Amino acid sequence: MKKKQIAITLGIMCFVLTMCIAIQIRTVTNSNSTASQSFIDNGLRDEVLRWKEKYDNAYQELLASEKQLTQIREQATQNNTTANAKQEQIKKNNMLLGTVEVKGAGLEITLADNNAAGKGLIDPSGVLVHYNDLLQVVNALNNAGAEAISINGQRVITTTAITCEGNVIKVNGEKVSSPFAIKAIGSQGLLLGSMTMAGGYLDEIDDWVIVNVKTVDDIIIEKYNGIISYKYVKSK
Amino acid sequence: MIFIAIVMGCILGAVIGIYAPMVPYTYSGYLAIAIIAALDSVFGGIASTLNKQFDLKVFVSGFFGNAILSMLLTYLGQKLNVDIYLAAIVVFVGRMFNNLAIIRRYYLQKWSNHKKKEAVEKVEQ
Repeated sequence: MKKKQIAITLGIMCFVLTMCIAIQIRTVTNSNSTASQSFIDNGLRDEVLRWKEKYDNAYQELLASEKQLTQIREQATQNNTTANAKQEQIKKNNMLLGTVEVKGAGLEITLADNNAAGKGLIDPSGVLVHYNDLLQVVNALNNAGAEAISINGQRVITTTAITCEGNVIKVNGEKVSSPFAIKAIGSQGLLLGSMTMAGGYLDEIDDWVIVNVKTVDDIIIEKYNGIISYKYVKSK
Repeated sequence: MIFIAIVMGCILGAVIGIYAPMVPYTYSGYLAIAIIAALDSVFGGIASTLNKQFDLKVFVSGFFGNAILSMLLTYLGQKLNVDIYLAAIVVFVGRMFNNLAIIRRYYLQKWSNHKKKEAVEKVEQ
């Protein structure tokens, strides 16, 4: 009897223990941190991960309050025509600024590094997608009248910069990497024509990197998830 | 019997742990120190079972008490900017080695006794 009791307790304890260990291992692998031998490294990495978590939480809160704000605004302007018109204007302006999700018919372009062709090359730089390629594509899309563009979920807005930072490309200050999904909303005929025309930019780089262009009738383009702030500009 | 229970507990715990939700990274440090404390308690429990000194109350209170105390100490250390958890780890791991030594000695003794018996039987034959 007593032995049975001991066995059951030890079993339960082991159960709790292994469960905790499994959860901990998953947490650690999820935050992809490998323990370093140096305390300073560990402390710094710890801090970064903690701040990241805080940022994520704060961002979720921001999203929730934004939703609430829109709801309250809609409720407040329900039975008022002038307010309703203003409300419509705000919506339109937000759409133009890129601070709301938009959808519509458009084009989806995928650019990817041609890893297979790069294997035998001494310098595989030629078969990679560079920031310049993205800039050219975005430029061509804008030229063809695209109304909203995003690269791997990063909305292209008025202050967007596409930069090359060593071996990563940054859009809106966020790292993006191959394959690049460039989504654009606009006239499908115009966009497709300007993208696939002979002698166009995509036609040129088609030999080096993997290019895929297709029209999609219902594209959702994510909103810009940063903050647009103007410090020096003042209205006249 | 006891070892079957332990193995069953471990397997069940691992399976459920894989599907359980993750803890936020901020608290994973506390969980880690609690795991070390609990691991120490389990080894202590096994060692005392072998010595026939196992006391359920001591074991259960040690299991939870040590885990909670070490987490509180870690929290206090963070507030005071002292790595108290290092002290907790040193104590727990040191005790773990002690308990492992007890377990090892117990089985080594058993094994050598068994050998002796066999030798004696051979001589008698």
